[in-house]
Amino acid sequence: MKALFFAAFAIYGAAVILEFTGTAFKKDRLLKAAWYVFLAAFAVHLVFIVARGIAAKRLPLSNQFEFANTFAWGVALMLIVMRPRLRTDWLSVVAMPATLLVMTYAALQPMEIKDLMPALRSAWFGVHIGSAVLSYAAFVIAGCIGLRYLLSVKKGSADERALAQMDYISYRMVAFGFLFLTVVILSGAIWAEQAWSAFWTWDPKEVWALITWIIYAVYLHLRLRMKRKGKVMAWFLVIAVPIVFFTFAGVNTLMHGMHTYG
Amino acid sequence: MKKLFRTLRSMRFGILLLVLIALCSVVGTVIPQGREIRWYAQNYPSFHGTILLLRLHRVFESWYFITLLVLLCLNLSLCSLIRIRNVVRAAHGETERAAGLPDTVFLNPEGMEKLRGYLEEKRCRSEKLGEITVYRRHGFGRYGSFITHLSILLTVVFGALALYTPVVTDQNCMPGESIFMSDGTEIHVQDFHITDETGRLDYQSHIQVTLPNGRRSEIAELRVNHPFSFGPYKVFQQSFGTAGSVTVTNIATGGKDDFVLTEQSALSADGITGIVYEMLYPDYIRDPSGNVTFITVTEGSYPNPIYQFEVISDGTFTPTLAEPGDELELAGLRFRFNTPVEFPGLRIKQVSQLFNALLIASFTLMIAGLYITFFYEPVLVKTDAKGYAVGGPKPEHMRIELGEAFRDYEQNAEEETT
Repeated sequence: MKALFFAAFAIYGAAVILEFTGTAFKKDRLLKAAWYVFLAAFAVHLVFIVARGIAAKRLPLSNQFEFANTFAWGVALMLIVMRPRLRTDWLSVVAMPATLLVMTYAALQPMEIKDLMPALRSAWFGVHIGSAVLSYAAFVIAGCIGLRYLLSVKKGSADERALAQMDYISYRMVAFGFLFLTVVILSGAIWAEQAWSAFWTWDPKEVWALITWIIYAVYLHLRLRMKRKGKVMAWFLVIAVPIVFFTFAGVNTLMHGMHTYG
Repeated sequence: MKKLFRTLRSMRFGILLLVLIALCSVVGTVIPQGREIRWYAQNYPSFHGTILLLRLHRVFESWYFITLLVLLCLNLSLCSLIRIRNVVRAAHGETERAAGLPDTVFLNPEGMEKLRGYLEEKRCRSEKLGEITVYRRHGFGRYGSFITHLSILLTVVFGALALYTPVVTDQNCMPGESIFMSDGTEIHVQDFHITDETGRLDYQSHIQVTLPNGRRSEIAELRVNHPFSFGPYKVFQQSFGTAGSVTVTNIATGGKDDFVLTEQSALSADGITGIVYEMLYPDYIRDPSGNVTFITVTEGSYPNPIYQFEVISDGTFTPTLAEPGDELELAGLRFRFNTPVEFPGLRIKQVSQLFNALLIASFTLMIAGLYITFFYEPVLVKTDAKGYAVGGPKPEHMRIELGEAFRDYEQNAEEETT
């Protein structure tokens, strides 16, 4: 089964190379090929996730590898959903490498299938972790759009309308991610009350999820109430992505807490 | 006073509070919380004084963190009140105000026709004001932000009540025994096992709660993630342990006593001859020469338990090992080493179900509020013969949507809009 994962990984890698080459040499055919290769990688990746779920007899979301793997798939899914709606392919050049980056992190984690520990056997498991996948993926895509915005401004390669669209879409992605991050925190609180007897324990993972929530709450207030747009907000989104990664991977690696499941 | 009030209700102040809460939270995760003072002196020799002075070892219970939370509640309350007042005021006469907006996008007649069809397809309600038609939808969306802020306030308040008001007791209980609470409530543990029949970790027990008024619960299954509530009590599967079990029989009389042993204990009839129970190990390895290496840590049930004890006889102590099922006779007593007993550690919480219910209601309200804020945005589009304008509290989404959809029908839009 590992072969499927590495096949998806390799195909994502090929898509990124094609995308970079096509962008550098302005070859539309290469860009088109990159997109189809990316879709193929996504399909193989989906097969791997389903196969792993069947083998584990549960949702494949229980440890760092499984979460990172699904997170990468979530980023790819967001890109696939967003691209036709945007009617543009400017997102791919940053979102494809982001998918590959998360896949690389997953590839570095232990991959063996383990039985679900009793604390994780709950109806909240899918809601809590599935929402985290969607939320983090949306924040990564928002960061990618922010990066693309900054590159476009620097190069002067996009008109006002395109920049406004990027700015708006990144805000929508944050809104989507924020809603799901709220679901993550609140469903986690209800679950924690059932499993650990308290809604909130100031566990490092909980605290960093709250910090991430606060960061994006600040973004939304600046964007919606103070009407801040443009470069500053794009920088905000780019800088926020490492914090999302820290919440997802850094906390489990560097801090000990009740969310240390492997 | 007015300035203070304005500051307290301002969004800038709210954002400042959120940033400070986030910074305190970072500190609270970087410096391990709640350890003994000595630990900080050993691990942070150069600045443990600062840690203690600023209570960085208990950030989340510190006066300044609680002050920040109280100020945030105050900010949210004032902000919500002002917001709802403004939103309700703005809702009055909104259609008329929208009708007065100058066109920002000009479309050709075909475009205008399609625009009307598009808005009707989106189930917008239309209102005619002379030559002008105003299309509106999702009017309730304007309250999303108020609902969200209100729900955050309620979450903080009910969260604090749900977190700090329960009385919590942690207690181990052997199967077949009971825990008695101070009010006379009895929690009886019928049985417990760490692993199920397939060897999978399970931590399952059956318990029954009897309240002081004699009301008795049915026998309930208790597992991780499946607490049991009865009366004011909520019982959780919290921890577990494995204890030694020894049956002592008086050979002459046939009288028997069962002992469950969790710590060093002496078992003797005369106080001179008998055994001293030392330890129960989960597993061991015996090499060919008979030396035993104990395995002290295991996950789940003990796979191959072994008792370590000392035999006291004639004033001498002889270290001895026994497996479950082994027997030993000493001074008219027979010691039988049984299969170890697995027991649960229960967390018993005296909770207010009302606070929990209100907190969960606040959670639901927050999710609904966020959904309404971001995905149920109010739509207000004014159209006339030549073009349209988007109004209302959140026009951006509709501006972009219509801009994209009717781009091809725009007429001298650049010149007209400038």
